[in-house]
Amino acid sequence: MASLALPSFPLDNRRVVGILFLAPALIYILLLVGFPFLLAIAFGFSDVTVGNTDLSFVGLRNFEAVWENDIFRQVFATTIRFTLISQVFILLFANILAIIFTQEFTGKWFARFIFILPWATPVSLAMIGWLWMLDTKYSPIDYLLLQTGFLGPGGHLSNDRNLFWLASPDLAQISVIFVQVWRMTPLATVILMAGLSSIPTDILDQAEVDGSRFMRTLLMIKLPLILPIMVIALLFSMITMFGDMTVVYVLTRGGPVDYTRVLGLYSFQVGIEGGNLAQGAAISLFAFPLLLAMAIFMLRAASRAEVR
Amino acid sequence: MTSLAKLLILLSLFVPIPAAVIAQGGYPDGTAISLLQWRHFVPRHDEWFDAFAQAWGAANNVAVSIDRVNFAELPAALSAEIESGGGHTIIEMLSSPAAFVTGLHDLGDINRQALADFGSQQDHCYAASYLPAADVYYGFAYGYSLNHGNYDIELWTEVGYPQGPRTYEELLAGGRAIYAASGIPVGIGLSPDIDSEMATRQIIWSFGGSIQDERENVVLNSPATIAAVAYLARLQNEAMTAEVFGWTGASNNQALIAGEVSFIQNPDSAYRSLQAIDEGAAANIGFTAALAGPAGAINGTYLNIAVIPAYVEGAQLAAAKQFILDLTANYRESTFHSELFNLPCFPATVAELPGWLADDPYGSTPADKFAILAADLDDAASLGHPGPTNPAIAQVYAEHIIPNMVARVALGELSAKEAVARAHERVEAIFARWRAQGLVGGG
Repeated sequence: MASLALPSFPLDNRRVVGILFLAPALIYILLLVGFPFLLAIAFGFSDVTVGNTDLSFVGLRNFEAVWENDIFRQVFATTIRFTLISQVFILLFANILAIIFTQEFTGKWFARFIFILPWATPVSLAMIGWLWMLDTKYSPIDYLLLQTGFLGPGGHLSNDRNLFWLASPDLAQISVIFVQVWRMTPLATVILMAGLSSIPTDILDQAEVDGSRFMRTLLMIKLPLILPIMVIALLFSMITMFGDMTVVYVLTRGGPVDYTRVLGLYSFQVGIEGGNLAQGAAISLFAFPLLLAMAIFMLRAASRAEVR
Repeated sequence: MTSLAKLLILLSLFVPIPAAVIAQGGYPDGTAISLLQWRHFVPRHDEWFDAFAQAWGAANNVAVSIDRVNFAELPAALSAEIESGGGHTIIEMLSSPAAFVTGLHDLGDINRQALADFGSQQDHCYAASYLPAADVYYGFAYGYSLNHGNYDIELWTEVGYPQGPRTYEELLAGGRAIYAASGIPVGIGLSPDIDSEMATRQIIWSFGGSIQDERENVVLNSPATIAAVAYLARLQNEAMTAEVFGWTGASNNQALIAGEVSFIQNPDSAYRSLQAIDEGAAANIGFTAALAGPAGAINGTYLNIAVIPAYVEGAQLAAAKQFILDLTANYRESTFHSELFNLPCFPATVAELPGWLADDPYGSTPADKFAILAADLDDAASLGHPGPTNPAIAQVYAEHIIPNMVARVALGELSAKEAVARAHERVEAIFARWRAQGLVGGG
């Protein structure tokens, strides 16, 4: 009797299939992340300028020069401050919105669609919109405040006709953080919604049978169960924001003074606009150990939470 | 603007480029050059430029294409094209390309050719295109714009200065009085932007300070600079609003058109924008010559400089150089169609300029509004004044160290002495780095 075994087929091999499935992601990471990263390291340890590709090794000289630059230290601190403050608000709003959007209510689809728009809109376009909203002279927000007596002579907030959103040090920082929260919250919300949806319904049913009310279920069951996913959302958000320069490039170009200048923008100004590629690369590389340590710590925390 | 003036302007748009001034090069078939330039503040200029470039291309058997971006995007675009080894043939910059010198062709040959053809070049154009430390011309400067004073005649007349301020002390006294009486401030930017960079520099120069000396030694930390910074902080506190900390390239225009500023420093584009909207309001804007400080009166300049990246070769390189020379030969048209925004680095190329300044061809009221600028043309300064605009000066500009230094004092964050000392330290580090590469002199 003839054998029923199928002829050999390369895609039956699990290793081959695995490699094929991983290949696009690996190629993407190697070409668009790995290669530029290695190039930045090579630049950071060299004396390279725009147009002069001589990669002669200069040791730690660029890193020492960058660290001795007090503008850099201020920029580094600003980047960390903006990232941490933003994450607090992003996590808070994302949790609230994820809970709302996983409930049943009329118009949920439309509300979700509207809400995701900040994330779906190209960042540069969205920032031009905010640039108009926060314009020092023609801000519609200022106009509304002026019409309602909060601005202008005798106004409750200021006697000026404008608040100077992007020119006042405090308001410029608040504006940048607000816009970052506006931009990043939808992504974190979608991730948390996925987490909430993945909680087995039998656990929630059991809690309900046992008499657990909304807040108890939320704090004692839902949030602990989605903690690993929350950490992932936080990690995504922090890394994206730490390396971002588009928001401040469009809104403030780092001003007033250095109050909104972040690492990505300073690296760009020194390395690309100023032609000093080596120091520009060194500035950007200072973020790497911090982000790496943060990623390892958070992923471990997520892993531990998952095991429990 | 009178109907006759409008008619003359309209007719001028259709005046063909004189064939005699375009060299008949006859480059090999397939030769093409591409230009990247900033979108001009005076739209009429770009219409003329497109027509000129196409006429030049047709006369020389060269396909010419032009791309335009916001002026602020040009340094990054040039940097990217040099690094990638491909891109546009000619890039026309508004800020200094000195930091990219090693990725650019030495244009010494066409600079020397231009001197032979067109006579002397303005000193500030030379200083912003020639790098003595490396003995190269990193660019070809054919034009510039003067950063002069624009003032509201009615407001300044009310406080006793019908001709506008003539000194920085008068700017403070008059600006303060106007602000107190009407709430209308002076508008001199103290932010990370091109106008703030120029305005703060020219005030520092007029007080006798500068970033470097003629031999490219850093001299920022001086009593003169400290006095200038203290003056600017006082001007901000007493005659300006916080808006100047967020000043952008559009702020001068916006403020002048809105009638919400008593004085700005800007080339004529802000005034021209207002003139196109409201001739009556434009008639109420007067120009001032460079305001005098304790050390004299110096106006800054925005340079119109062309560079050719090192990746351009062969017939394309030759065509690009010829295009630049022919554009210079036709700078009369550029000055005219930019409504006197583009001024010639080679004065002989625009023999009509004194006449145009004395009697504005675009119908200003009064007709001699621009006449006061004539005296400043020969004494203006470029970014590196009194030295050359070198890579270190360009990086100081890119990092916005000078306006930030002033803003720190105006915001009460540091004293003038502390802010200048801190900025000096950073500038020294930048100079040392470029000096080690042999691209900055002094030391």
